[in-house]
Amino acid sequence: MSQSRAYLWLIAPALFLMLLILIIPIFAALGLSFTNYSLGNPQANFVGLQNYEQIFTRTTYQKMFGATIRYVFVVVPITVGLGLGAALLIKSLTRFGDLYKTIYFLPVMAALIAMAIVWEFAFHPTIGIINSTLEQGCGTVLENWSWYANGCERTFPLWLTDRNYAIWTVSFIGIWQGFGFNMVLYLAGLTSIPKELYSAAEMDGAKSSWERFRLVTWPMLGPTTVFVVTISFIRSFQVFDMVEAFYPQGGGPSKSVYVMMFALYEKGIQQNLMGIGAAITVIFLIFVMLLTIVQRWLVDKRTHYV
Amino acid sequence: MANIRLSNISKRFGNTDVLDGIDLDINDKEFVTLVGPSGCGKSTLLRIIAGLESADTGTVSINDTDVTGIRPANRNLSMVFQSYALYPHLSVAQNMLTPLKLRDLSFLQRLPMIGPLLAKTEYQTLYQQVKKTAQILKIENLLERKPGQLSGGQRQRAALGRAMVRDPLAFLMDEPLSNLDAALRVHMRSELTQLHQRLKTTFVYVTHDQSEALTMSDKMAVMMKGKILQYGPPDEIYHNPQTTDVARFVGSPAINIIPGSTDETGCVSLLGRSLGIYISSPRTSIQIGLRPEHLSLSEDSSNSFPGIIRHIENLGSDLFYHLEVEGMRQRIVVRTSQSEGRRLPLGSLTCFTAEKDKHLVFDENGNRLTTKSQKLAEVA
Repeated sequence: MSQSRAYLWLIAPALFLMLLILIIPIFAALGLSFTNYSLGNPQANFVGLQNYEQIFTRTTYQKMFGATIRYVFVVVPITVGLGLGAALLIKSLTRFGDLYKTIYFLPVMAALIAMAIVWEFAFHPTIGIINSTLEQGCGTVLENWSWYANGCERTFPLWLTDRNYAIWTVSFIGIWQGFGFNMVLYLAGLTSIPKELYSAAEMDGAKSSWERFRLVTWPMLGPTTVFVVTISFIRSFQVFDMVEAFYPQGGGPSKSVYVMMFALYEKGIQQNLMGIGAAITVIFLIFVMLLTIVQRWLVDKRTHYV
Repeated sequence: MANIRLSNISKRFGNTDVLDGIDLDINDKEFVTLVGPSGCGKSTLLRIIAGLESADTGTVSINDTDVTGIRPANRNLSMVFQSYALYPHLSVAQNMLTPLKLRDLSFLQRLPMIGPLLAKTEYQTLYQQVKKTAQILKIENLLERKPGQLSGGQRQRAALGRAMVRDPLAFLMDEPLSNLDAALRVHMRSELTQLHQRLKTTFVYVTHDQSEALTMSDKMAVMMKGKILQYGPPDEIYHNPQTTDVARFVGSPAINIIPGSTDETGCVSLLGRSLGIYISSPRTSIQIGLRPEHLSLSEDSSNSFPGIIRHIENLGSDLFYHLEVEGMRQRIVVRTSQSEGRRLPLGSLTCFTAEKDKHLVFDENGNRLTTKSQKLAEVA
């Protein structure tokens, strides 16, 4: 065998595995998305772009995009912001830092299904701790706030079952569950900032902590932020278990929490509409792909330091 | 344009005394080097002058004003760090602009995008200052580059530029040359001295390299174990060290310290031979320091000491002979010029003599003793 072909043998195992477990399934999904295949059927018909047409025209799927986008664009900025804030606060502590790290990281490690049950109790309209706590505030200055006064007069919101609140409540739990992970990533990013840069900033006249943050911390965390934002986006697009735990019957009050992964599961697995399921998968993959491309671009463009 | 006065500075980290009652007067426009082995507290002392570290006791004053409690940003000193500490996301020009912006512009004017629109003229004058400094340091062509695209020497210049650009009261430098290769380091030494002459500002320079201290400074402070052992001009430190520690640290190769003795009149003898110099009172154990360049090899065995050549260091211009002398564990280093050294092979027996009046006599604790060429009693 000639020397020049040796590289083929070296990359072959990796290439083979990548084809087998990544490329082939993706193309299989792409192929399926043009058919009306159901599991168990001996054959399937080619339906062209009909599945995609359905996804982009039917109101169910509009709700799916609506819920997914709401969830993603609420959860991502807030988990990134809180993660950074918590990391900065913990970093500034001289004691108990590890304790806070553990506390904030606990929800990341916990099984969300189990946590969902606890939250379901907490958000229960009558016996839940949230609403009974809110009721304690009735008759105080808080009633100047018309929303609060309404709550006292009638009832406080049915957090999980009111279609105006459900997606935000689910987002809140998503934030609670997710920001600890970002905090850990930011803590790692913070430890890699050379201390001398802060000394230099101080010598240069950066007197307030905001100036030091703008001059040193934030730019130096650039690569971490790109990674954290991308990971948060992908994780938020993938939210499923919480929706399944709260609303096994399908996407919450008037499908306001009908997120993509849940739709995929409901169509593809529960209703055995593999064609539609595959089409949703392909759209999901395109989202993730776009995000990854943006991330690569940002890494190359903006945050290439050394 | 400032004098710096430290009095009774002490600092502890946990149980270790890093600095122990340091007093130091640095005059206006002086180039002062703090030199010592690593861990002697010299960098900590510099950070205390800068205000980045606070001392446990003692005061720092600049221009006769007590600045002990004043934060670094308000002391108007600038510092060059060992790692340069350039902001990696900013170009060299922006790096140099940063201290000017932070001091001379308001919060609004510093805002990105809006700031330059609000304060066009201010930005232009600041940029002129950056350009002027860049010209002095010959880095105008690097202004638009990021630190990551610069070589070590170029980063060094950019860091100097950032320190120079705003005319500080004094420059503090923390081993700024230690990350450069040997040739560049020697070159930057002379550039820094020239810069000092040009700027006419106080420089406080920290280094562990005694040759940097000797070549660059007006005065040097030799520090060890948190104390300043000796403070004075390099010549004074080199030729007149007050302790064996200073004598050993300054000079390369290191000074030869040879045990000596005195007779009852205080007459000093070296390796059993009287030197004709006297100390005030007879002592049982003394040490005699002799620099390698004050020793020479000699053919004549009558007035010299025998030794076997065990190692030869060839430095091109000079040869250093390491001689084994009977009765001594430590080897004696003799410097010779290339011409006279060539002949002697390794392992051969030779003799060495010491120049008269170059003996430095220390007591058993390493403190310097004054010597006279006559017996003291006779003088009195």
